[in-house]
Amino acid sequence: MYLFGTRQTFEGGLYLPDHKTRTAKRPIETLAPTGPLMVPLSALGELPTTPVVAPGDRVIEGQPLAMPAAPESLCVSAPTSGRIVRFDHVWTALDGLVPCAVLEPDGLGESAAVRRQWESDLFLTELVEKGVVCPNPRKAAHVLIAEAVAAGVTELIVNALETEPYLTADLRTMVEMPARLIEATCEIADAIGALRVRFAMPDRHRRLVRRMVSEAAGRLVEIVPLAEKYPQCHPTVLIKTLLEVEVPIGRSMLDVGVLVVPLAMIRAAAEALLDGRAVTHAVLTVSGDCLERPGTYRVPVGTPIQRLLDHVGPTAPIAQIVSGGPLTGVGVQRPDAVVTIDASALLCFSRPPEPQPIECIHCGWCVEDCPVGLEPVSLLQLEAMERISVEDRERLLACIDCGLCSYVCPSELPLAAAIRRTRRRAAGGPTKATGPNP
Amino acid sequence: MTQTAEDILDRDRPAAWSGAKETFEAVRPAACEAPHRTAGDTYAEILRAWLIAACFVGAWGVFFFGRAALVILAVSVLSAVGSAIVCGRLLRRDIGGGSVYAAVVGLLVGLTLPATAPVYVAAIGSIVAIAIGTALFGGVGHYRWNPVLVGRVVVQFLFASAIVGHGPMMQGAVLSPGRLLVGRLSAGQPMESGAYPGWSEVALPVGRDAVIIERPVSALRRFGDGRIKPEDGLVLTPLLRDALPPWRDSLLGAVPGGIGETPVLALIIAGLFLIYRGYLRWQLPAAMLAAAALAAAVLPVESGAAEGGYYWLPALAVENGSAVGLAYVLHHLTAGELLLAAFLLAGESVTSPLRARGQAVFGAAIGAMTIFMRLYGLVACEAYWAILILNTFVPLIDRSMRRPIVGLAQPEA
Repeated sequence: MYLFGTRQTFEGGLYLPDHKTRTAKRPIETLAPTGPLMVPLSALGELPTTPVVAPGDRVIEGQPLAMPAAPESLCVSAPTSGRIVRFDHVWTALDGLVPCAVLEPDGLGESAAVRRQWESDLFLTELVEKGVVCPNPRKAAHVLIAEAVAAGVTELIVNALETEPYLTADLRTMVEMPARLIEATCEIADAIGALRVRFAMPDRHRRLVRRMVSEAAGRLVEIVPLAEKYPQCHPTVLIKTLLEVEVPIGRSMLDVGVLVVPLAMIRAAAEALLDGRAVTHAVLTVSGDCLERPGTYRVPVGTPIQRLLDHVGPTAPIAQIVSGGPLTGVGVQRPDAVVTIDASALLCFSRPPEPQPIECIHCGWCVEDCPVGLEPVSLLQLEAMERISVEDRERLLACIDCGLCSYVCPSELPLAAAIRRTRRRAAGGPTKATGPNP
Repeated sequence: MTQTAEDILDRDRPAAWSGAKETFEAVRPAACEAPHRTAGDTYAEILRAWLIAACFVGAWGVFFFGRAALVILAVSVLSAVGSAIVCGRLLRRDIGGGSVYAAVVGLLVGLTLPATAPVYVAAIGSIVAIAIGTALFGGVGHYRWNPVLVGRVVVQFLFASAIVGHGPMMQGAVLSPGRLLVGRLSAGQPMESGAYPGWSEVALPVGRDAVIIERPVSALRRFGDGRIKPEDGLVLTPLLRDALPPWRDSLLGAVPGGIGETPVLALIIAGLFLIYRGYLRWQLPAAMLAAAALAAAVLPVESGAAEGGYYWLPALAVENGSAVGLAYVLHHLTAGELLLAAFLLAGESVTSPLRARGQAVFGAAIGAMTIFMRLYGLVACEAYWAILILNTFVPLIDRSMRRPIVGLAQPEA
């Protein structure tokens, strides 16, 4: 039906100025380790691991540094060859202070990559050993796949939309390794037993769409080009657009039989399953308004953000660093934080936003743009309220935290932040203060 | 027993690290919450665009009404800004929007007034708009009725004769072609209705700067009341030929009326500018004008014939081989304050519905009600009243136009 120009889309949302031109055409550049790496000893901050190396040990690239200490945890491998100096703590953007192993690279780059003919029952083991994570939802890949199998998921959607401004990591990945992405998608689809596999990607890149279609020819994967309207990339919105199914409030996408995986996980799975390499590098867009060589970088996990930024070259004093997209990312408070495995972008701005909130002027832009049909202004008043009614609680939980209401608000009201805080209170108990939490 | 990384580190963890994660959460300032970028279309930006649009319309009006119009606009703007400062001092809190807001309100009040109005009317209108229309309700964002129109209808009550003149024929002056901008409205030459050749062909004796003719909206009201008699079975022709100026004069703004009400072309340009900037939704003026045109087309007018009765579907009238019905509808659209209301007044964000769909309903109701009141009502400046009446129903419109929430379980019907 695409022939006739009818595009699948959703009500609400906004076409954002994308700021992608500077980074979209630059190939992914691998950052060579030039100093000590502070490799976090658990992939997603809270997953416990047991170190299997000691200070003074020499390790080679891909060698495990820590083994999982719980079923939902993952191996952590060395990003390069070198010597373990000590164990320490290090700041990360998403998880705060986490334990790490300090690895002094020797510059030899000796690798332990072995291409093993894995079998289907070793599939999950392979994902654990190579340390494949899914950034959204933040889980280990094997846990996500096991949950999908248990929930009887029949639809798999690969999310390569990346509709937030500045982000080009997924785009570059598709340009540089289209065939392996399709292959890894098929492997994961086989593993969960999906009946239908869709690969959602931006329709604006026509040549890339054609390339992906030709790579997917004869495979189970169906390439679905979608408009780059924000937040089309959010799983709830994506499921509604593609399947016309609404994820019930407070439930997960697995409950409606759908699994949406981000392209970053597919890329990691391709590295782990097809190349036999441990996932030790994060592919992230380094961009913003004050960098000399913005681009997509393949960065060893544990690289201090400061060193990465020195390499990219700031042109002006950086006032604000964001890990993740500009609308859903997390502010980086400390320049000594390190790059973690689930980082998708690092954005630097020379001017921090200085909102001066005034009264709501009833313009209705937030209502018009909300992708789930909420009235963010009415939810703003809930923050001051002692008790929250059942209806309001449902509304709060329906919010997908896309940040558009704050983005468009002419009164500069902190709508998204207030809704996030109130939702945390309504959901009961303190939860993580960081990142989108679907 | 497995030993985790945390266990190993516990041995040599410095004391300062205990609870460091909690500290990290606690010191996170609010500015670091997502989203980290904003669109940048602030209320100040919206007000500035509105001010530019209103200034453009005002300049066009000054061109046709001369110095008197400039004085009215200046007085209304200055008194609005002044009263905003005084109100801020008295209430000890800012009414919001800054002086640009007060300037926009004052300018719009000035645009609704004719250039012949006394200066004190403009001043009182602006002061009422700011002090009662805005500050009394608690400032920007809290009022329910458009402050500009609150000020306007109050002075309409207080100084009706000073604003619209005496007598059944509400006459007004407009500068003649050779004396634009520099002429004086007071040096006016009344023109016989029926003998008026149109603004561009008018020839005035020396010393006369302006022509005095009936306002188009007044002629339409008289027609609606059946006070324009049919001739030889022709109903609309006497109105169009004798009582109304040529339609191109209305388009140009060369007819008497409020400073900002008559410049139709300028209003359309200003409205398109606001729509282009994204600060006015096109649905509102479009629905308003469409509804007004439809109402003018179908609403019956009292027949002026001796036996009385009503004249139905005036838009379909064809007299002497010309489609006079369509001309009648077009005159309804450009006459009076309908276009000013559609492009600069009804779209005021605080007092209009939240969603585009609601604004379309709101605009359609205003447009239809304006024509209804023009044909059958008694009060003047009917579009202003229609807006104020519909402002009252905005919460109702908003409530009935809610979007369905994604994922909310629909109650089984």
